[in-house]
Amino acid sequence: MAHPSQLGFQDAASPVMEELLHFHDHTLMIVFLISTLVLYIIMAMVTTKLTNKFILDSQEIEIIWTLLPALILILIALPSLRILYLMDEVNDPHLTVKALGHQWYWSYEYTDYNNFGFDSYMVPTQDLTPGQFRLLDVDHRMVIPTESPVRVLITADDVLHSWAVPSLGIKMDAVPGRLNQTAFIVSRPGIYYGQCSEICGANHSFMPIVVEAIPLKHFENWSTLMLENS
Amino acid sequence: SRSKEESEKEEGFKLLGILDVQRIPCARNAILHGAGGSLTTGMLYFLATSRVRRSFDVGFAGFMLTTLGSWFYCRINNAKLRVQQRFIQEGIKNKIVYEGSVLDPINKPKAENPSGPS
Repeated sequence: MAHPSQLGFQDAASPVMEELLHFHDHTLMIVFLISTLVLYIIMAMVTTKLTNKFILDSQEIEIIWTLLPALILILIALPSLRILYLMDEVNDPHLTVKALGHQWYWSYEYTDYNNFGFDSYMVPTQDLTPGQFRLLDVDHRMVIPTESPVRVLITADDVLHSWAVPSLGIKMDAVPGRLNQTAFIVSRPGIYYGQCSEICGANHSFMPIVVEAIPLKHFENWSTLMLENS
Repeated sequence: SRSKEESEKEEGFKLLGILDVQRIPCARNAILHGAGGSLTTGMLYFLATSRVRRSFDVGFAGFMLTTLGSWFYCRINNAKLRVQQRFIQEGIKNKIVYEGSVLDPINKPKAENPSGPS
């Protein structure tokens, strides 16, 4: 999860987010070098005594500062497009979960084998127990198995919402009357936090998303328990 | 004070306020190689021509090229290692799943020698 005054990304918990992190590092290095170049040029321009007010054309430098940015853009675009298409792949998901956005909570439905579902409300600040996170923890987490492709179908009941979990590299709008699909694989067990990412009213900041990834055997036990309780 | 120290360590050192050289793989080595390359090229140009200002320009160009070269070389090698790591992980997982079964590659019968022409 995020920690106070964090600037960078959270640690990746899915292969797609790992790829996004690597791409970000690659692009950041290019941005750093361009910034260094611009700084150096500014310093050189400010301190030079060589000035010519009557230069009319300069073919060589025009060619350089046309081709070089084009090359840089290609270097950034190719990995970007690779990840874009990678994110669209859906490889035979083992489980489908439906996430519905409401004002102001999420509900999750597991309808693959036996039908069960539950609502996921934020734990109010006054009801937090020691160890729980303010504005992030919920009463019922969305539980999924690790190392299994999971498909999430996202929609909304009333207004626009957005289902986002940064450490899994997921953000998908929840649109009333529309089913949006996304898929992911969680690489390691853990609890991953996210927050609603589309303004949806007074309590938009108070409808978090918590994904709990557990080994398959424990997931089967959990889903059996949920079925008995429903 | 301990948590403050830990958070300071976690923040890392960011060049120009953006590039966290401690956390990003290959960044520290790329910048160090770049610094070395820029010193080398700048000094060599100055020794050859005695032009101070132009030596700085050449040194800076050396920094850019060395940093980029070291960065891409390191990142490509890291990417290849990551691919190999994924193959090995899949192989280990499948080995455990298929061990002792018909699909276990260790139990595959060896190919018989083809018989010669009669």
